[in-house]
Amino acid sequence: MVHISDGILSPGIWISGYVITIVILAFTLRKMKTEDIPRLSVITAAIFVASLIHIPVGPTSAHFLLNGLAGVTLGVFAYPCIFIAIVLQSFLFQHGGITTIGINTVNTGVPALIAYAIFRLGTRKDIHKRAGIFGAIAGGVAVTISVLFLSIELVTTGEVFENIAIIIASAHIPIIIIEAIATGTIAAFFVKVKPEILEGYKGVKR
Amino acid sequence: MEYIEIDEYHHLMSPIHQWDPRAKIVSILTLIFSVVLLYDLELAALGLIFAVILLLISKIPLKFVMWHLRWVVLFILPFFLIMPFAVLEGDITVNPEGFEYAFLILIKAISAVILIFPMIGTMRFNSTAKALERLKIPNKIVQMIIFTYRYIFVFIDEFSDISRSLDSRGFRRRTNMHTIRTLGKAIGMLFVKSYERSERVYNAMCSRGYTGNLKTFDKFEMMRNDWVKMFIVMGMAIGLHLLHFIYFMEMI
Repeated sequence: MVHISDGILSPGIWISGYVITIVILAFTLRKMKTEDIPRLSVITAAIFVASLIHIPVGPTSAHFLLNGLAGVTLGVFAYPCIFIAIVLQSFLFQHGGITTIGINTVNTGVPALIAYAIFRLGTRKDIHKRAGIFGAIAGGVAVTISVLFLSIELVTTGEVFENIAIIIASAHIPIIIIEAIATGTIAAFFVKVKPEILEGYKGVKR
Repeated sequence: MEYIEIDEYHHLMSPIHQWDPRAKIVSILTLIFSVVLLYDLELAALGLIFAVILLLISKIPLKFVMWHLRWVVLFILPFFLIMPFAVLEGDITVNPEGFEYAFLILIKAISAVILIFPMIGTMRFNSTAKALERLKIPNKIVQMIIFTYRYIFVFIDEFSDISRSLDSRGFRRRTNMHTIRTLGKAIGMLFVKSYERSERVYNAMCSRGYTGNLKTFDKFEMMRNDWVKMFIVMGMAIGLHLLHFIYFMEMI
């Protein structure tokens, strides 16, 4: 649900979404090296596929967002990767909108960067013991901020959207919990199985 | 797992298929933005008609498009159920403006999705990528789009293998901790596998002379026909807003 369709938000909001996205992209793409591209694309595709997986929540089902996980594994490159995933989702799979690519990237990508900061700071001393717990915090916080962004954007667009914003926000509470547990599990799994996959693992004292 | 690729009908012959990819992307993208920026129901409906006309010219089967439209409708549906009703001092009242607004959103969203098909469904994905590069989209972004797109289908298959092996060991998805942790580890495994695969693939590509530049046999050349088509579609995009302007002037 964090992918908002065309025609809902006011132009001021989605245009500023593009501006913010282009600025962050320009900054992160400069840091990216050509030899990083295959690795980053592969992880982007894996995140894309993983976010299609459904989990039953009572009578309905939810799917993963995994922007926290993107932040934990990709670091600052999470932003361009999420941008690519959202472009593909809107053009090739018709999920989300085209005018909203910028703002959708902000809603998903900025929380991913925050998740990376949390994970990096939290696991600086002992990544083996703390990967699980800080992965969980990063995952939960990322989804919470995403939903917060979306609700704020809906409410600023018009009062008519107030009810929808409240419903969307409350529907995401179970997803925040699921996402936290899953991201924690996956982060702990990576530290055990293949730590070099984590961007934050480099330069950490072992 | 079942999936349909967007360029499944690239082999058809139509005026839109024969349009220069760069002009096609720029023109139709302009039309999409133009329609989304409309705020009158009548003009949005006209935009939808333009979208359907372009779709019909492109000869892409309607059934294929409908199958993709269901996501958009699913997303907009809650707006219809919630927006017309406003809660005033504990009483629920019906608000016709809310209904009209929801309808406007639906029309704009559907038009945008329909226009995607004539835009990129009428050429091979490689041509789209090449056109993006020619349109000065940064090379790193174009490369990432190509790689990611190819890998998505590989990983859908890979994950369905993982999923099947979980099922065969008696795993059932329920609302509990065990399900989330198991799926979490399955996703972790997908990442590890894909990470190792990317290293192998990248080394293989380098040894075959990959430098990061795209090499395709597509030749792009703007002919008179391409300019005419661009003029027509751009005309639609600008015309919608001119109409809005005229409409607005008459009101005063």
